[in-house]
Amino acid sequence: MDLIPIYLIFIPILTSITIYIFHNRYINYSIFICQGVLTFLSLWYYTSFDEKVTKTLAFGGWSREIDIVLKNDRLSLLFIIFTIFIWWIILIYCWNKRKYDHRFLFFLSFLQGSFLGLLQTNDLFNLFVFIEIATIISSILILYKKDGYSVRAGLYYLLFNSVGMLCYLIGLIFLYNVMGTLNMDVIGERIVSLRGTNSIRLAYIFMMSAIGVKSAFFPVYNWLPKAHSAAPSSISALLSGLLVKSGLYAFVRLNTMYGIESFSEFFFLLGFFTALSGAIFAISQKDIKQILAFSTISQIGLIVMGLSNLDGNAFYGSIFHILNHAIFKCLLFLGAGLIINTYSKRRVTEIRGVFKTMPLTSIFMIVGVLSITGAPLFNGFISKSIIKYGLNEVPYKIYMFNILNLSTSIALIKLSQIFFGEPHEKKYNYFCENISMSLLAVMCFVLGIFFIPLGQLLHVDLGFINLFTPWAWISYLITLVIAYFIYLFFVHRELPIIKKIRHIHISFGAANSLLVFFLFIMIMWKFIDT
Amino acid sequence: MNPILSFIVVLIGIYGLCTSKNLIKSIICLNIVQTAVILLFLNFANFSGSDIPIIFKNIENPTDPLPQALMITAIVIGASITALSLMLCIKIFHYYGTLNWKELIEREG
Repeated sequence: MDLIPIYLIFIPILTSITIYIFHNRYINYSIFICQGVLTFLSLWYYTSFDEKVTKTLAFGGWSREIDIVLKNDRLSLLFIIFTIFIWWIILIYCWNKRKYDHRFLFFLSFLQGSFLGLLQTNDLFNLFVFIEIATIISSILILYKKDGYSVRAGLYYLLFNSVGMLCYLIGLIFLYNVMGTLNMDVIGERIVSLRGTNSIRLAYIFMMSAIGVKSAFFPVYNWLPKAHSAAPSSISALLSGLLVKSGLYAFVRLNTMYGIESFSEFFFLLGFFTALSGAIFAISQKDIKQILAFSTISQIGLIVMGLSNLDGNAFYGSIFHILNHAIFKCLLFLGAGLIINTYSKRRVTEIRGVFKTMPLTSIFMIVGVLSITGAPLFNGFISKSIIKYGLNEVPYKIYMFNILNLSTSIALIKLSQIFFGEPHEKKYNYFCENISMSLLAVMCFVLGIFFIPLGQLLHVDLGFINLFTPWAWISYLITLVIAYFIYLFFVHRELPIIKKIRHIHISFGAANSLLVFFLFIMIMWKFIDT
Repeated sequence: MNPILSFIVVLIGIYGLCTSKNLIKSIICLNIVQTAVILLFLNFANFSGSDIPIIFKNIENPTDPLPQALMITAIVIGASITALSLMLCIKIFHYYGTLNWKELIEREG
């Protein structure tokens, strides 16, 4: 029972190796057994978490500084249960297509093992190892279609993320030189007196720049839209829903460990610029997957704005927004995959009549669109209101938040034009795919209405949110109407500036220069601040 | 071995990453940075005052063994990334007939 954290890591990895070695279509079904066992174990671990189980699990029997330690708290458990849920969805979605593809299932299951390890580890170097494994495997999954564009995107993703993780290693050098250990708990205890020293701050800056690459912060997010639009749609749902969040999870973990408060304003501004530029790029795109990928960047910026405070309502709102965003962005990407499969087109200006061609899929996608724009009764509304409530004290922050909400609505209105028009003649039967999408759509509703139990998982009281205040509904409608008019007058007419923004390409060398620039800004911020 | 020397090698590698136009050169520069970071880790990340954690006690000025153990893992990860990216370079050359970052974007249109 105490060993459940290890089982959570090794069961998927062993299953994946079994699938790869035996190379048999019946053995492939063992991935469902593995998922079932994982679900059972994680729920069991969760229910008996407070009383019997120790939170940290150390191997080796050495002193506390050099042990390998797995640690669970409520946050990581919430993420673990969510991860397993999303993997169920992806597995059901792609089962029809990938039933006999033992290689795909191998990578998928192995990725789950490394992701669960990433969530539980309490060791900075093991965090690096798990992130690197996840990067390598996800780059293979990105280029799984093996055409030129996806191979290029996968290579770009692999190289740029490895450059980012090298920054993490450099940060680790400074930290280890002072601390002599890599255990997060021990560092958190010892760091209190050393917080102002230069090496700790340099370590923080280098590690944060690596996290910035991993979770697509403002100047260094160039890899994300390429990778997410090139991947197969089940994988891009996985990437947008969960794998980007690995960086944000590490962001939370590292920030609670360091406890450096002087960067909180910096990350707030950075989140705002991330969100704004992501939304502007999303508005300018025509490719359906590119719109969704850039909208992911915009939502990440929103989350970082909330996470920058480390406590209070905005922080917990962002944690919930990570989970909610995983649900509705998965839903949108899966739906987009089905639409691309039916129409063999990717441009939103050419796809027409989705609602008549595939009514069930488009209902689920509309649920996703309503959630991401923050309609009441859906889960996006809950997390956005918590963030808004947390930012309430400073007036200009509320204005920033409203601008972002508006720009998200414009991008999603641009996407929604595909639903109208005459139907397509070809019709396919998507049974498995619709089941998995319906699960996600139901989750959107359930988390949007029964949000108070979700808050209790993290010991947060969410009683202050009222779904039926008229002002919430009215402000949502007003935002939507303004967004529609902006879309009609500026975006729909294809102004030349929008064309220009669409064709911006950042090469690999320029992206690396931007990473150096990002580091430079953070170092300058430190000098200004002290 | 001076830590400053390995830091200069890191800077050289980062300069190469920012300026190189060829895919293979980018991968080589990534490897240069990786090697230099490992060297820097071994030189610089010695926590002074640490004792040998495993067996032989009572030795004067022991080298901290933990960074060495960690860096073996980092070397393995770096090798696998290099292998994978070189394999992808071959694929890209088959598809596009070039390994220049700029031409790759132009070919895509």
